Amino acid sequence: MASLISIRGLRKTYRMGDEDVHALDGVDLDFEKGEFVAILGPSGSGKSTLMHILGFMDRPSAGSILFEGHEVAALDPDRRAWYRSNRVGFVFQAFNLLPRLTVLENVALPLIYREDSDPARNAEAARAALERVGMGHRLDHRPGQLSGGERQRVAVARAIVGRPAIIFADEPTGNLDVRNVDRVLDLLGSLISEGITVVLVTHDLSVAERAHRVIAMRAGRVQEDRRR
Amino acid sequence: MRIVDRLRPAVINGLRELRANKVRSLLSMSGIILGVASLVAMVTVVQGMVGNFRQFVDAMGGIEKITVTREPLPREQEHLAELSEGLTMRDVARIRTTVPLIANISPEVRVGFEKLANDDRETLTYVTGVAADYLPVAKRWVDPGHGRFISDLDVHNMTDVVVLGAAVVADLFPPNEDPVGRVIKLRGRAYTVVGVLNNIEGSGFQISSARGRGPGGSGSSWRYRNYGAYIPVTTALTKFLGSDRLSGLGLRVGNPQQLQDAVDQTERALLQSHKGLRDFGITTNEQTLEDFRRTESAFKLSLGGVAGISLFVGGIGIMNVMLASINERIREIGVRKAVGARGSDLFLQFLAEAAVVSFVGGVLGLVVSLGIVTLMNLVLAAAVPTSAASMLDPQIMAMGLGFSVVIGLVAGVYPAMRAARLDPIEALRHE
Repeated sequence: MASLISIRGLRKTYRMGDEDVHALDGVDLDFEKGEFVAILGPSGSGKSTLMHILGFMDRPSAGSILFEGHEVAALDPDRRAWYRSNRVGFVFQAFNLLPRLTVLENVALPLIYREDSDPARNAEAARAALERVGMGHRLDHRPGQLSGGERQRVAVARAIVGRPAIIFADEPTGNLDVRNVDRVLDLLGSLISEGITVVLVTHDLSVAERAHRVIAMRAGRVQEDRRR
Repeated sequence: MRIVDRLRPAVINGLRELRANKVRSLLSMSGIILGVASLVAMVTVVQGMVGNFRQFVDAMGGIEKITVTREPLPREQEHLAELSEGLTMRDVARIRTTVPLIANISPEVRVGFEKLANDDRETLTYVTGVAADYLPVAKRWVDPGHGRFISDLDVHNMTDVVVLGAAVVADLFPPNEDPVGRVIKLRGRAYTVVGVLNNIEGSGFQISSARGRGPGGSGSSWRYRNYGAYIPVTTALTKFLGSDRLSGLGLRVGNPQQLQDAVDQTERALLQSHKGLRDFGITTNEQTLEDFRRTESAFKLSLGGVAGISLFVGGIGIMNVMLASINERIREIGVRKAVGARGSDLFLQFLAEAAVVSFVGGVLGLVVSLGIVTLMNLVLAAAVPTSAASMLDPQIMAMGLGFSVVIGLVAGVYPAMRAARLDPIEALRHE
């Protein structure tokens, strides 16, 4: 069976002054459907760059990416936006909920940028996603009225509302207390049962250990790819 | 996705931002508010002025009126003064036969203020000797059902008949009494009232112009025009003045387009019959009209400039607040992009936000302009009671609103482009 994502020879080079910085220096990886993966590495290891490229926020300088069988390494910005809206979800360390929108509106946000956007259907899907993360009772609250753990659960709901193939969680527990760390990680881990691939991006080994596969990065390369 | 579906959330979002930043939005809107208010108020007031002026020009006989007056001879002809016969009924006949462009000729003799008496009632009014053509030239008519005007036969026979202005009738006769057929006294002689002129209602701007003012000066022109008594021109010449010199001629051109031709031909005809003596002057209302047009365009230019500058400043204000707002919301832009917004989605969102701000500003501007126009009407009504009130025209209001939205859109383009071009990764990193 073909992998969900298959990357070969991926490079990303930035120009910093007179020097070329190789954020990614030849990365080969495969991600399967329904995998729970952690990408581990210190800052500057290239893990964030990898996440941005795999999440269609950035383009590699060289290399190939097969996403669901399609070559996507060189897509134009609008096509990449389509993938972000339809195939990918993000969970951020800082939650990044929009303060003026209600919880329900925040979760429905990815859907309004879709071709077939329909307000009633969007709201229904957002409600279902919020039920899924256990936040169905806070639909009309503003993010500011929620605790950190609650906000991150809302953010997870926003990531899954569009039924993506893969979710990237960038240090999702960095701003949470211990009790909520477990809760959010459990929630993320449970998503694989729905066929969603979950990628945790972290520098925290204890967080990475919760995943079923840990990819350790250093200096723009894969140092270790370990399945448990 | 249809453009409407993309716009609706953008507009809702714009309103939400506006509500969240009330004070800032109001400040940024102030330029648009003032701009729209001054634009709408300016157009309304100028339109009111134009309307008032049309009535005023009509009261002077309209654009098609030519006035011939008696004038002293120019310096180089002064030694020929004895040969000057002035304007006479012969000139009337001459113009009638040689200048076909002139449709009506009204010879006029100013008799002066005279006492009119009906038994023990009396009034002082200006008496003018006229002929039948006075009516079309002066754009007056005899009140329907109240007799007739001076006829050619009256002029030919020098009859002792008089046509009265409505105000004179009110002075001389008790209400509900028909004056037609009654006999009144004028300088001790009996004159039969044959008709009553139409009552001129109070309308029309009192414009301070020597030509626009009647005797008595300060009075309102229409009120003065309801006074007056009219007798056959020949009667006035022989029985009051003992001379054959007319005070002037009022001419009406059949086709106003040929006004200048008619003036030229009249001048030639008169010069010929006056043996080359330039003892007359010819004026038209064109100069007055031209003066007014110049005033009007000066008003439009200066007020339009004020409105234009305010709108321009308003646009800058909106651009400024949009740039500030985008700076504050870089992270929001990053989030929206991360969840799938294209550059065009964000462009549309911020453009709509600018349009919403300026539209709301435009609506507030209309409210302010309503206040300005009402205030100006009050001030104007206190200063000049005869002036007609300016009314806000829905078309002008729509134009003002349209202007504000266009300004908002133009001012929003650059900030919206900045938002659309932001790199999502950079934007998400922004603190």
